[in-house]
This record gives sequence, structure tokens and C-alpha cells, in this order.
Amino acid sequence: MTLIWGGLSLGAIYAIVAIGYNIVFISSKTFNFAHAQLTMVGAFVAYTGLVKWHLPTVLVLVIAAAAVALVAAIEERIAIRPVGDMHNILVTTLGASILLDGIAQLTWGSQPLSVPFFAGDKAISLFGGRVYPVEIFLIAIAVLLVVGLGFYSRRSLTGLALLGMAEDREAALLRGVNVRRLAFMAFVAAGALAGFVGLFVGSKTFAVSTLGAALALKGFVVLAIGGFGSMPGTLVGGTLVGLAEAFASRYLGGEYANLAVFLILVTILMLRPAGLFVRTKERVV
Amino acid sequence: MKTRLFKVVGGLAALSLVAAGCAGEDSGGSDDEYHVLVLGGVSAEGVLADNASTSVLSAKAGVELVNKNGGIDGKKVTIKVVDDQADPTVAVTKLREAIAKDKPDLVLNSGPSTVADATLPILKQNNILSFNIGPTETSADPKAFPLNFDLSASAQNQLDAFPPYFEEKGYAKIGILHGSSSYGEVYGAASEKTFDAAGLDVVANEEYDVAALDMTAQLEAIRSKNPDALVLDAYGAPLGYVLKGVEKLGWDIPIIGNTSVAATGLISTEPPSGVLGTPAVKNLVMQVYKSTAYDAAATDTNDMVARMKAIDPIKSTLIVAYNNDALALVQAAAEKAGSTDPKKLAEALIDPSVPEKATTAVIGTYHFSADSHAANPAPEEFAFIAPGPLKDGQFQ
Repeated sequence: MTLIWGGLSLGAIYAIVAIGYNIVFISSKTFNFAHAQLTMVGAFVAYTGLVKWHLPTVLVLVIAAAAVALVAAIEERIAIRPVGDMHNILVTTLGASILLDGIAQLTWGSQPLSVPFFAGDKAISLFGGRVYPVEIFLIAIAVLLVVGLGFYSRRSLTGLALLGMAEDREAALLRGVNVRRLAFMAFVAAGALAGFVGLFVGSKTFAVSTLGAALALKGFVVLAIGGFGSMPGTLVGGTLVGLAEAFASRYLGGEYANLAVFLILVTILMLRPAGLFVRTKERVV
Repeated sequence: MKTRLFKVVGGLAALSLVAAGCAGEDSGGSDDEYHVLVLGGVSAEGVLADNASTSVLSAKAGVELVNKNGGIDGKKVTIKVVDDQADPTVAVTKLREAIAKDKPDLVLNSGPSTVADATLPILKQNNILSFNIGPTETSADPKAFPLNFDLSASAQNQLDAFPPYFEEKGYAKIGILHGSSSYGEVYGAASEKTFDAAGLDVVANEEYDVAALDMTAQLEAIRSKNPDALVLDAYGAPLGYVLKGVEKLGWDIPIIGNTSVAATGLISTEPPSGVLGTPAVKNLVMQVYKSTAYDAAATDTNDMVARMKAIDPIKSTLIVAYNNDALALVQAAAEKAGSTDPKKLAEALIDPSVPEKATTAVIGTYHFSADSHAANPAPEEFAFIAPGPLKDGQFQ
């Protein structure tokens, strides 16, 4: 069971990153390749707030969310807004991710830094396995985010507008939706989310300048498995990837962990090219 | 007629100037000075910069030591530091510039193996004696580079120190956990071979992806084989994940980390930033040079630390302070050879009496030979110590 807890918590981190990718994808049909790096910045801000400034956890969560939302807003203005073509945005956000990696290393160094967790750092026994409190929180956050965002997108006007934008951007524009503003707000919201979860992610993985690169690829794989734009898909994709990594490492060896993940990805994409939770649409010509 | 005479005189003057210039290039500076050039990635990022800073600092401390003891073959030693940014391209360009301007007598290569790979052919071409910290496949081969000597211990040198420690502690069944980096893979294979040869039972040899965020699965796999001790190769965040994993499993196993473990700041830093003094490191010991652990009786090492501190703060462990030893070795070699000719110095360095006599501090005795210019430190040069706070490059 310890293995399952480990796999689920790791999968939850990947799912949280994929949720961030999805928020941007739904609103602007593009990917923010720097989203994993925004989570990394959130972990560093949490470290600074808790360890260096000795601030209370709630305040640190607010500061981290605000700080990373600001970074995301700057990224949107510099790396997204001036670039018209969606394909070019992939390159500019990739550039932003490299820039954030470098800034993090220059600011906080390259050594891993412990991010203290408010619920303690002692492993507990649960359902026959051993698990850290932060790992339970990570799983809960991933589930709550998917449920909450699903509810929000169907019950709120903004959520419906975002879904409308995802379906047909021009039609949404004709219906009076301020597409540009909403896309910007979604980008900033994804940044705020990355900042908020930084404390939880950093408590499990340490705040370290290589964290963004480690999360980016797996987050993208989770997104591809679940289907681009599908929030429930991130949960299923995260669980599959996390458990595949854990079981392959345990029974086949660490060198097979990535192989197992990509085998699952290739199989799913062969059977369902748009991912598990997204239907393939016929193109209108 | 007058014009022709001017042309001949002018031509002769130009030739003599060229000849003088060429002579200057080969001479290696003025007669009463011995020029040392240090290559280091001073402006690199993070750990590389800290390591380069300590390497350069140790070179300066070494210069101070040899000048205090009469210089090299009576010549005053001068030092020039070149920032190669730990980048082979930059290193090659700056080394060529330095050689063209004022050919050094000795080059201390403080950077990674990639820099050594790029600069060693240039040093060979120019007949310059050199010492190297980042070993390459051929850097210690006298047939490939007769004037180069490697200062750092190889993975095999380090591993040779493990079996006597296991015997002392009574560990017979060993588990190995190593990273997927090229060094980690070499370390994993070499450690299994070394322990097998020493009659130990290697019950598990597991690898982890250096980009992975959780090592619990690999640890569970090793635990299932019930080893007496776990040998660990890990640097940076992966070390933290392994320690967290061991604690999560509630596994009470002695962990013996390699020198990469000792170089990770996490284990020498107290909470909340690090894990020093926490239950996570209660079973951890790590391999270090004896000189990296503070010992009041180690006068040569303490003297080097004092000289380094007097110049600048020491930013990383003394494991990269080899340049101090390089200068002490050259001084002893020059005394033996009675010359600063690079070939004669290289010949003297493979005479066992020279490294024995040299006032080295990081490694007690270097074992260069006619077949290998590697440092080859003896197993006794290493110690296995519990993590402690790092002060002036030494664990306290």
C-alpha cells in the first residue's frame, strides 16, 4: 500500500500541473510550457515565506499565489500577447520556462531547500501503508480542483464563457465574450493556482531549480493521456502515470519507469488519439 | 643604393623582432619567475561557481606556501586566474590567448572533464606541465598526455575504501542504489564488481532516474532483499528523496553515501532549510577525504585552511582544493629535478619520494607512476563520517 500511496501522490502532482496546462488550453487553445516552472517558483516563494520570513502558512499561501500570478501576468504580456501565431507561442513559453529556471537558480541557488509542511513531516500509517501528510493533501487537492473547476465551468457565467471560447472562439466573441480579457484572466488564475500549490509540491519534492523541468514533461504526458482540455482526464492520467512509475520502479527497476509511462501513452494514443476523455471530432470543411 | 640598404636593414630588423617574439613565446616568462595559470569557472552558476572559487582559492594558498618556502627551483611563483565559465569553448579561446601573450609554466585545470578534454591537447602541443581536477578517459595516460597529472580520486579509488569499512562494521550483504547519470551508472557497475571481488554479497543493485521525485519503490525493492547496509550514490534533491523514502518506510538500515552525498548542502544544513540533526540522517555516514573532516592534529590541512581563509571565504568542501597540493608537488619535483623544465618535472613526479616529501594537504600522498598519472590515493586517505555542519570547507 505504501507503493500505491507514493504513486498516487506523485500522480497527483503531475495532475495538478496538467490542470494548470488545461486552464490555459481551454481559454486560449495554446500551452504554457512554463506552467511547471511557475509551480517551482511557487515552491521557492513558499520556502522564502516560511523559512526566511517566518510568516504564517495562510499568509504564505496568499503571497505565493499572488506572486506567481504576477509572474504569469508578466509572462502573458511578454511571451503570449505580442505573438499572434499559436505555434510560435509554444516556442516563446518554452523560452519563458528556461528563463524562469535560470532566475530561480540565480536567486535561490542549485541546492534543494526543505519546505516545512504545516501538518508535520512524520510518516503515518494509513490503510496498511505508510504515507506523509503532505501526500494525502496533494491527492485531496488534485481531486478538489477537478471537482471544483468542473462545477465552476458549468454553473458560473465565466465558466460557461470559457467553455464557449474553447468550443468556438469567434462565436464566443460574436456573443459578446471579451475573449482577450478572459484568456488573460485564465492565464493569471493558472499562475495563482501554481503559486498556491507550490507549498504542497515543494514540501514533497523540495524547492529546487530542476523541479520545473522534472514536472513539465510528465504533466504533458498526463494531459495527452487524459485528453487536452479534460479536467477529469488529468486525474485519470495522473493516477496512471504515478502508479506506472511506482510499480515499474519496484518490480522492473528504476530504468523502466519512464519506459512504462511512455508505453501507456503510446497505447492510449493509438486507441484513442484525442486522449481518454476527449471525443475525436470530424473536421468541418 | 640607399633605398636597397634601408630595405635590407629594415628586413633584418623585422626578422630579429620576429625571432625575439618567437623566443619569448617559448621561454615561459622571465627567468626569475614561475608563471602559473589557473583555469576555473568562476562566473559559472551555482555549485560549479562555488567549486571554482575554492579551487582558485586553494591555488592562491598553494602559491603562498611555495613562495614562503623559497619558490619553485628558487623562482618566485606568480599566479593568473582565467575565468573559463566552465565552458570548453571559452576555456580553449582564453587558454590560447594566454599562451600567445605570456606562455605559462604550469596550468591548473580546475573545471569539469569537458574543459579538460578540450584544453589538454593544447597544453600537450605547447609542452606545458598541467594538473587536472576533472579526469577524462585519457587524461591520466602518460602516452596520451605525458605532461598532465590528475589530482582527483577515481570512482574505483573511492570504492576500494568501502570493503575495509564493511569488514570493520560487520556488513556482509550489501544493497546499492545509484543514479541514472553517466557517473551513477559507472558507479553502480563498479561498486558491484568491487564488492563482489572483496567477497561481499551484493543482494540488490537498483537505479533511479535522476529526474524522478520519489525513490520509495526502489528502496522497497532493495529492502525486500534484506541487506545489512545500503551504499548510496546521490547528489542534490535525489538524496533528499532517498532519505525521505527510508524514513517513510520506517527502515532502520545503515546508509553509506559516496562523496556526492557529502557534497549536497541539504545534509550539512540544519532545519528548516536542511535535514542535519533530524531522524532522516541518523543512519547516514558519508565518504569523504580525511582532510574534509576537521581534525585538530592535521597540521598540513589546518595550515592550508588558514591560508585559504586569510585570502577569501571557503565556499565549498575541501574536496576541490587540490590546487594547493599541485603547487606543493611541483615544488618538491623541482627540488628533485633541479630544474623547472616540464619534462624533468614530470619525470620527478613519478618518483615515489617526491609526492612523499611534498607538503600536500587534501590527499596525504599521491601515487603517480610511469604507467598512470592518476592520483591513486590509498583507501586510508578516506573516512566515513556522520553528517555535520560545514565550516571552512570541512565537516565539524
